[in-house]
Amino acid sequence: MRVLARLAATVAALGAASLLIGPAGLGPGESLRALVAGGPEAAALILREIRLPRTILAALVGAALGASGAALQGLLRNPLAEPGLIGVAPAAALGAVIALQTGLAAAFALALPLTALAFAGAAAAALVVVAGAGGTLTLILAGVALSALAGAMTSLVLNLSPNPFAAAEIVFWMMGSVADRSWQHVWLALPLMAAGAAVLAASARGLDALTLGEDAASSLGVPVARLRVQVVAGTAALVGAAVAVAGAVGFVGLVVPHLLRQAVGASPARLIPASALGGAAVLLAADIAVRLVAPDRDLKLGVLTAIVGAPFFLRMIWTERGREA
Amino acid sequence: MSLRSLTVRRGECPVVDRATLDVTAGEVAGLIGPNGAGKTTLMRAALGLIPHAGRSSLAALPPLARARAAAYLPQGRQVAWPVPVAALVALGRLPWGGADPDGAVERAIARMGLAAHRDRPATALSGGELARALIARALAQDAPLLLADEPAAGLDPAQQIRTMQVFAALAAEGRSVLVSLHDLGLAARHCTRLILMDRGRIVADGSPAAVLTPQRLAEVFAIRAAHADTPDGPLIQPVAVLDANDPKI
Repeated sequence: MRVLARLAATVAALGAASLLIGPAGLGPGESLRALVAGGPEAAALILREIRLPRTILAALVGAALGASGAALQGLLRNPLAEPGLIGVAPAAALGAVIALQTGLAAAFALALPLTALAFAGAAAAALVVVAGAGGTLTLILAGVALSALAGAMTSLVLNLSPNPFAAAEIVFWMMGSVADRSWQHVWLALPLMAAGAAVLAASARGLDALTLGEDAASSLGVPVARLRVQVVAGTAALVGAAVAVAGAVGFVGLVVPHLLRQAVGASPARLIPASALGGAAVLLAADIAVRLVAPDRDLKLGVLTAIVGAPFFLRMIWTERGREA
Repeated sequence: MSLRSLTVRRGECPVVDRATLDVTAGEVAGLIGPNGAGKTTLMRAALGLIPHAGRSSLAALPPLARARAAAYLPQGRQVAWPVPVAALVALGRLPWGGADPDGAVERAIARMGLAAHRDRPATALSGGELARALIARALAQDAPLLLADEPAAGLDPAQQIRTMQVFAALAAEGRSVLVSLHDLGLAARHCTRLILMDRGRIVADGSPAAVLTPQRLAEVFAIRAAHADTPDGPLIQPVAVLDANDPKI
């Protein structure tokens, strides 16, 4: 798999760059020494406790979003599917917003991500209960309804916020970021993401069969109803964890699978690992960019991914149009 | 494949009504009947894809064993992604965990004349090419039974004949084929046996000559057809729709 090898190399290179770039102004040699050997106290602290968790989180969140987008597109047989569509990401955001609003977020470090995860889990459970036995269209419709509900509730919380500062805090959080995160965030997200990734990996063959439609997939021995629950659960774990630690980072789950589809021969199974690596690369690059473009303005990750991603996506659609028919 | 009193209800009304049927090795059994007679529903229920009453030997199997026992070619020609033809055909190997020790994928590609198209995205194929690619996918499954739902629809005459010849070759290998068809002439010439359905029931089952009598064509299809016997087999060409009020019926 040359595509996967190339993507992995890109992720490694961007990960290294992400470790070496920051406002502390450490040289590359100094940074590496601090990372590996400890070195002078401040440098070691910056590398090991600030930059390394940030880099790892950027890669994890990107991978989670990319893999989820690929799996959902495969399940729904629709290139427009993305993690926000089925309501899990907006529900996680709602949880975080409630934690911020109620002051719960200040109670202990992981209060916000844990609340977000609880809401993501509840949304996934609701989705499975409502749409688990129905078809693909039922799943999309239920997801859209859940998204709308979570979005409206989020607006309500903003609407009722006691002062502009509280509202601003919520709005900034929702733009998505991996800045100022700690190892706690990594350890919270990692096991959930690993579990979600394992579930998606187990669903990969079934998603390939779904290329032929649900009846043909069933006739090939794929338990389609179970596959649907698996993909929703796996995506919920991945996206719930991603939103819990990084806020709402849009566009990666939609665009990355689309970008890589042709390179992997359009197979949904092969698109999942490729999109995980591609998503990691995109978020690492975006996180480097927010530090380089406006180091003193705390540019948010989600803002940048959409600002750069959307025109790029449009250009791609422009060059591809007519080729598909 | 063995069906005993297979029944599928939609609401109160039976869509397939106590269908009893055996398809044995070496047969190309044609499933015919007007639109809405229950041909597709019978196939789906036989495979256990939809809830049903009665017994189907296939539906009783666990999913993977069933997938190894019977390949299914659904009517709708769905391909969601631009997968290359060779990869599409290889999906037929999923029940075997992707393994293909006997080269079933290559044989299916050769058999359906797809060698020149193997690297093209399936979504870029013409309707006829796509139909052949999907038949090849079902052949790659290498199952002893093939259930094909209107595989000839939308194919040009040469491709229709070739498709039926492939089914005949499968039967000659000792496999069996259950194929639903709307072209009665094609069914009469290429099937060893015809099963006629009307409003959910199997109303006739036997040799093409025994099933396609003028009286049945009138009763079930409400048509009058011209018959002729030729060295290439029977010709049956529907020529007129019968009026339900006609006293002759």
